[in-house]
Amino acid sequence: MVTGERPGTPADAVQGVVPSVVLEPSTVEEAADAMARAAAGRKVLAFVGGGTDLGLGSRPSRLDTVIRTGALSRLVDHAPADQVVTAEAGMTLSALAQVLARHGQRLALDAPLPDRATVGGVVAANAFGPRRARFGAARDLVLGVSLVRADGTAVRGGSKVVKNVAGFDLPRLMVGSLGTLALVTQVTFRLHPLPETEATVLLAGLDPDQVRSLAAAWRAAQLEPSSAAAVFASDRLDLGVRFEGFEAGVADQVARLLGLAGKAGLTGDRLPAPGATAFWARHDAVRERGSLRVKLSAPPSRLPEMARSWLPTILGELSPAAAALYPTLGIGFASGDPASGAGLAAGLRDARAAVVAAGGSLVVCDAPPAIRPAVDPWGPPPPAIDLMRALKDRFDPEHRLAPGRFLGGI
Amino acid sequence: MSGPASLSDLAGRMAAVVGARNCFSAGPDLLTYECDGLTHGRTRPDLVVLPGSTAEVAEVVRLARASGRPIVPRGSGTGLSGGARPVPGSVVVALSRMRRILEVNLEDGWVRVEPGVLNLDVTKHVSAAGYYYAPDPSSQSICSIGGNVAENSGGAHCLKYGFTVNHVLGARLVLHDGKVVDIGGPALDAPGHDLLAALVGSEGMLGIVTEVTLRLLRKPEATRTFFATFPSTDEGGEAVSRIIAAGILPAAIEMMDRLAIEAAKAATGLDWPDVGAALLMDADGPVAEVEDVSARAVKIAREVGALELRLPRSEAERQLMWKGRKSAFAAVGRISPNYLVEDGTIPRSEIAPVLREIESMAKDRGLRVANVFHAGDGNLHPLVLYDARNSGEEDRAEHLGGDILRMCVRRGGSITGEHGVGAEKAAYMADMYGEADLETMKWVRAAFDPDEAFNPGKVFPSLRLCGEKPGPGGVEHPAVKSGEVQRW
Repeated sequence: MVTGERPGTPADAVQGVVPSVVLEPSTVEEAADAMARAAAGRKVLAFVGGGTDLGLGSRPSRLDTVIRTGALSRLVDHAPADQVVTAEAGMTLSALAQVLARHGQRLALDAPLPDRATVGGVVAANAFGPRRARFGAARDLVLGVSLVRADGTAVRGGSKVVKNVAGFDLPRLMVGSLGTLALVTQVTFRLHPLPETEATVLLAGLDPDQVRSLAAAWRAAQLEPSSAAAVFASDRLDLGVRFEGFEAGVADQVARLLGLAGKAGLTGDRLPAPGATAFWARHDAVRERGSLRVKLSAPPSRLPEMARSWLPTILGELSPAAAALYPTLGIGFASGDPASGAGLAAGLRDARAAVVAAGGSLVVCDAPPAIRPAVDPWGPPPPAIDLMRALKDRFDPEHRLAPGRFLGGI
Repeated sequence: MSGPASLSDLAGRMAAVVGARNCFSAGPDLLTYECDGLTHGRTRPDLVVLPGSTAEVAEVVRLARASGRPIVPRGSGTGLSGGARPVPGSVVVALSRMRRILEVNLEDGWVRVEPGVLNLDVTKHVSAAGYYYAPDPSSQSICSIGGNVAENSGGAHCLKYGFTVNHVLGARLVLHDGKVVDIGGPALDAPGHDLLAALVGSEGMLGIVTEVTLRLLRKPEATRTFFATFPSTDEGGEAVSRIIAAGILPAAIEMMDRLAIEAAKAATGLDWPDVGAALLMDADGPVAEVEDVSARAVKIAREVGALELRLPRSEAERQLMWKGRKSAFAAVGRISPNYLVEDGTIPRSEIAPVLREIESMAKDRGLRVANVFHAGDGNLHPLVLYDARNSGEEDRAEHLGGDILRMCVRRGGSITGEHGVGAEKAAYMADMYGEADLETMKWVRAAFDPDEAFNPGKVFPSLRLCGEKPGPGGVEHPAVKSGEVQRW
């Protein structure tokens, strides 16, 4: 036993697979050492941050050792004047936000469960929230990474400046790779200023076409909301549109959005702060709760089908059932507790067939253990799957990093 | 299949695929392809082929590979890092015939184009409908989308809107064995590794892109521009820092130093004052927001000690201000017989000390440096002035350029903010990355192109390349020479 090493317990399981050993390195050097020893012992590994996206992907085919990044939680470097931060992988989004807020800044990546979600995990899982509408996702905000490769070698990619095109893009390659290529130990992000003010307009009881046409109207009017989310309320949609920035610009955009809504025969309200908090909490619940969580992505113009057909096909198998969608991104989420595995599997199959036919994808983000075997988390492999396999073979020739968890058995 | 034995045999087979007029191995046409925008390093390729479709590209790749020749993809050839420079015995595959805009979908905000389509033509195509393609390298009227994808091109407005990699949704790629594969697509978050991230900025070393799906943005409602002058770059840099610290995200914020201003005045006849620094800022977005933000920035500029502030009264006047800024680069030719263009990035908070360091390094070598840069993101374009007729001056300019790049790395920055590494800066990669870092990047390349068929000799330092000296530009691209376009 070395520092930070202990036997695995069921609480350390990755999709039910319990590791025999858990390592919790507290420095980047310890992490590299842990990886090097695992390489020497040919141990099969999985990496765990806050554990908020452990349900993503297939059950690993083998697992000896889990490396938890929780103790790698230091802020490495924050340069407020450069709006750049480097944090160790295990730092939570909340802890990072606290430090940054003291300087009037933020990482504009509002992934679910920020008290647990870590910066490394958010990168590995490509986790994001509604502000993606304005600020993009992890790939749009990450500037650099420190990695430990499967062979135990520590390497860097990218840089600590916002503008850099030197060399191949390792940072973005890590985004969404789910620990299949390397262990992320540090991440450098570009930051944004905290807005002077924010306002959420609620338009309640809309149908999908009204959401779609209102989103088209505010785009035509050149409004620039930072987020837009429609939360399902029985068979209607409650649309929340958030503006952020300086007061003058926010107030003007709120008024103009209400004007556009009025023209469409809709009534909206600028929510007072508690109302806005309550609306976004409803949204968060969809993203964070339920033993089953599914993400659908399609071109935004397919929103009406997503709302009327694809999501309900899944929701019908869940109780309680909740759903939300981001109209400007074309992304929707369903969550809840499935009644029967067979029914759910059929519902997912039907919904996936329709989404894929529309050029999109359906990914199961989490599923209860009993139902998991009946569920395909990824769907059909993309045309470029051979390139992904080749990438995996180069980075992890022995297939010791989360084998089988990624799509196509990677 | 058995490979063609001789060059003439290969040329014959290529001609059968692309047509005789689109394939040549001799004659004056070949000269154009011996270099890109970095004209001092010239290498004669064996063959230049201009395919007209994905199928032709695939066949050309198969034939070139069967003959054992390396393949050098090429767009408009405007790059400034030698990224499209041929290697001996290579087949240059130029995509300039593939310039169709294939499909536009404004509702979902994307356009699918062939790689030879010029950057600005994408925006022109959708501009009447109120949309645009955001990355705007200064060469945008002559550079191609395929080249932008290879180099991950930026531009003045990438501070707010990001680089090519943030705007490419999908690509069709011809691999080393002639197989064609589609990556990504109009819907976000296609499951799997982010191969687009690997592809964009890979400098033509992974394959040949034959179609690209680009994100289109709705035009901002308004743009407000102001021009401010300062006694020196110290105050100019301070203004930039305070504008950013005030929570403002400008669409672009550009700075020029005294020498660059002098050059711009000489070239354009603009009545710019004789000052130590000039700042040009764009804010864009909804009108009320932009008016507010612009007023805040102007106030900051005043507080920091701006000598003069100008706000354009019309779009024409605004364009003129930008013309002054954009012409600075070529304008340097008015004040110096030769110059060397550098491209490095530093943390933006260090602009003022870095400029002083550059000045002192230049003095040590008996040279002058004009600075024009994207101040918001710390992307410097030092222009090292020299006179090639003076013996040894060219060498000193080259060394100074290298010193500046190494200084950028020492300050925590990068050896290239937007021009790419290419052949020119491969030797400096080892200053910025360790051996294992570079090895890991090579794994990405090997996953796509295990035989290093595409664009060998770029990006990664080799013993041979370490011995090569990066050098200054000589002959201008004709369109740049004529003043029609800028290239940075």
